Amino acid sequence: MRALTLTLGQKLEERYMSRHLAWFFLAVVMLAVSAPLQALNYEVGGCKTGSSYVSFTTISAAVVGVPAGATIQICPGVYPEQVTITQPLTLKGIGFNNANRAVITINPNGSLAPNVTSSINFVAFYAQVLVQNVNPAGPVNIIGITVDGSGDNAGCSAEMLAGIFYASSTSGTVNEVTARNQVNGGCGWGIWVENGAASSQTITIENSSVHNGGFDGGGIAASSVSPPTLSSTISGNFLSNAGLFGIDDSSSGVIAGNVLTSVAGPGIFAEVDPLTVSANTVADILGIGIETKGANTVVANKLSNVGDSIALFPDVAATIKSNTIKNTFCGIDFSGGSNSGTISGNTLNDSPYGFGNWFGPTIGGNSLYNVDNLQSTSGSCP
Amino acid sequence: MSRHLAWFLSAVVMLAMSAPLQALNYEVGGCKTVTGYVNFTTISAAVAGVPAGSKILVCPGVYPEQVTITQPLTLKGIASGNASRAVIAINPNGNLAPNVTSITGQSLYAQLLVQNSTPNSPITVNIIGITVDGAGGNVGCGTDLAGIFYASGTSGTINEITARHQQSSDCGNGIWVENGAGLSQTITVENSSVHNMDGSGIVAISDQNPLTLTAAIRGNFVSDTAVSEPYGSTGIYAQGNSTAITGNIITGGTNVASQFTGIATDQNESGGGGITVSGNVVADIPEPHGESAGISPRNGTIVQSNKVSNVYVAFFPQAITVGPTIQSNTSMNTKYALAFNCIGNSTTSVSGNIFSDSGIGLDTVPSQALIGHNSFYNIDTVQADPCP
Repeated sequence: MRALTLTLGQKLEERYMSRHLAWFFLAVVMLAVSAPLQALNYEVGGCKTGSSYVSFTTISAAVVGVPAGATIQICPGVYPEQVTITQPLTLKGIGFNNANRAVITINPNGSLAPNVTSSINFVAFYAQVLVQNVNPAGPVNIIGITVDGSGDNAGCSAEMLAGIFYASSTSGTVNEVTARNQVNGGCGWGIWVENGAASSQTITIENSSVHNGGFDGGGIAASSVSPPTLSSTISGNFLSNAGLFGIDDSSSGVIAGNVLTSVAGPGIFAEVDPLTVSANTVADILGIGIETKGANTVVANKLSNVGDSIALFPDVAATIKSNTIKNTFCGIDFSGGSNSGTISGNTLNDSPYGFGNWFGPTIGGNSLYNVDNLQSTSGSCP
Repeated sequence: MSRHLAWFLSAVVMLAMSAPLQALNYEVGGCKTVTGYVNFTTISAAVAGVPAGSKILVCPGVYPEQVTITQPLTLKGIASGNASRAVIAINPNGNLAPNVTSITGQSLYAQLLVQNSTPNSPITVNIIGITVDGAGGNVGCGTDLAGIFYASGTSGTINEITARHQQSSDCGNGIWVENGAGLSQTITVENSSVHNMDGSGIVAISDQNPLTLTAAIRGNFVSDTAVSEPYGSTGIYAQGNSTAITGNIITGGTNVASQFTGIATDQNESGGGGITVSGNVVADIPEPHGESAGISPRNGTIVQSNKVSNVYVAFFPQAITVGPTIQSNTSMNTKYALAFNCIGNSTTSVSGNIFSDSGIGLDTVPSQALIGHNSFYNIDTVQADPCP
């Protein structure tokens, strides 16, 4: 037994050794894992040439060639291709030298045939970036990419055009994306996300620039079966000249902090409930600024230079609070129905008609300035 | 008993006081006919006929008159029946001769003029819930047109006003406030709707050093304010004075083919007060015309946390001595996020901004400018046209 008893010196020596041994083993382990870690860098376009990068020449090749969950960095440049993503991954545009724009464009020599049919409205779409049948399940994130729809002029009879299309049963985040020129004879959408399946999905569209869309289409659509199985957050986006609709939403969720100008209108169409439409800036719209079809909450939005600022479908229970409306033809349009929700704390300045198409009692609790007709029954609002 | 007596006496006192209190109610337009109101048929008669410090209620209706206010008072549009708009309009049979000269030397026809004839005793005038319509008031461009004009020696608040259709051969302005030599003044222009001008929407200027005007321009919505080239037009313009331009929405509206700058500032070079432009939204100025820009800050103006969208040039800073600070702003959908035109020095600072979706990020950057960390997304050319 005595032989097993270590002297103090031996103990110190052993402790010293063991610490060195531990560092040695740690280094070995790190070396062993570092090779596969390095192999997890993927790029498209050739601007990242280090040995740790696996390079692809097209985005389409990359999205099928990487392991699930990978991040693919896209170098600045033009990518004339149609991209279909069927596994969880992150697609991220990066800067290189003096450029910072990776653009997915229509391939002038490619087929313009539809590649997906919406499970909500059953319309055939040509999607420039299509996210569908993601396996294994997991989020697809798209960051800092431009999707340009110029060149798809197949027209409305052939298809709808979408810059980015998230099909049923997919989820993820679209952040700092530009979607532009999805015109297609009028039937173009910048970003279209939907869920027609029974299981719930979550999609976020944020900080993106969506503009110059189709006059019969729009900027951002979030579509779902009813009751909604898609929960969407649409926030911090800038939309202009996006077409007929700015944001068309039949999911549940939030539309917040967007700047939305120069669409035909409605700027924001909250098609189902419950949706919260808050703190958006809506301006320069001939038609309707914000339209709500259900028991939605429309709060703290600012509307300026708009035809019909907030329009309610008849007989809903919408909450319209603390909005600021200026330079509008009609402030709040009740469409001839009743509303059992709360209409309070709104400030309206500069309008021929304040509360329009309203047959109920006087509405109090709001501040109206420079309004020619505070309350009117019919024919007053566009 | 004593408590009852106290109530009784209190009631007597209140009754005694109520008669003179009622006499302090003044109205224009005839919608308040109950006892206790002194009635006027024109705003001009009222503002001259009430005691200093009075509040004048203006009934809905059209008032084709030129109004000059020379004493402290509050002018407030009120609702009656189903209407809530009192409109001061151009008198079709009236004289369109200029009635005021700005500290800039510019003569103007002001529809609603606030003027102080005794500069050593400033007056405070508040205007609330009134519409000033300039239709029919084309006085040309040698004389400018202004909806509301606060001349030197006046203070006050302009709140929930509508100023519209001030169009005068490219020299029609919505609201113009200024202060020259003399005592310092404070003017707030807030929550107002200003549109369809052909000059500038809101103007705040002072030519003094030290500065004599503190202005707050906040929560206003300005749109469709544009002129044909070569004249420049501005949604909100502040010069020289200490001004906070906050939370306004300025859009080009439908006049996208014209030269228009959302917010332009020209801070005093020698300091004495700062101009801050923060939390504003500027949108829909997509065409290149002259020096059109979203926000054009000159000298030490601080520009922060603004959102600019669908604008040809989002930020167009200029510096003579002390450069502007441009920080924490977001721009999207622009041709140029920021163009310096090679004007600026080491006091010009650009940091913490998010520039997204632009042909060019930073253009013509002077070599001394301090370009800190900014985020760029979807920019074709991050930095272009280097300066010599």
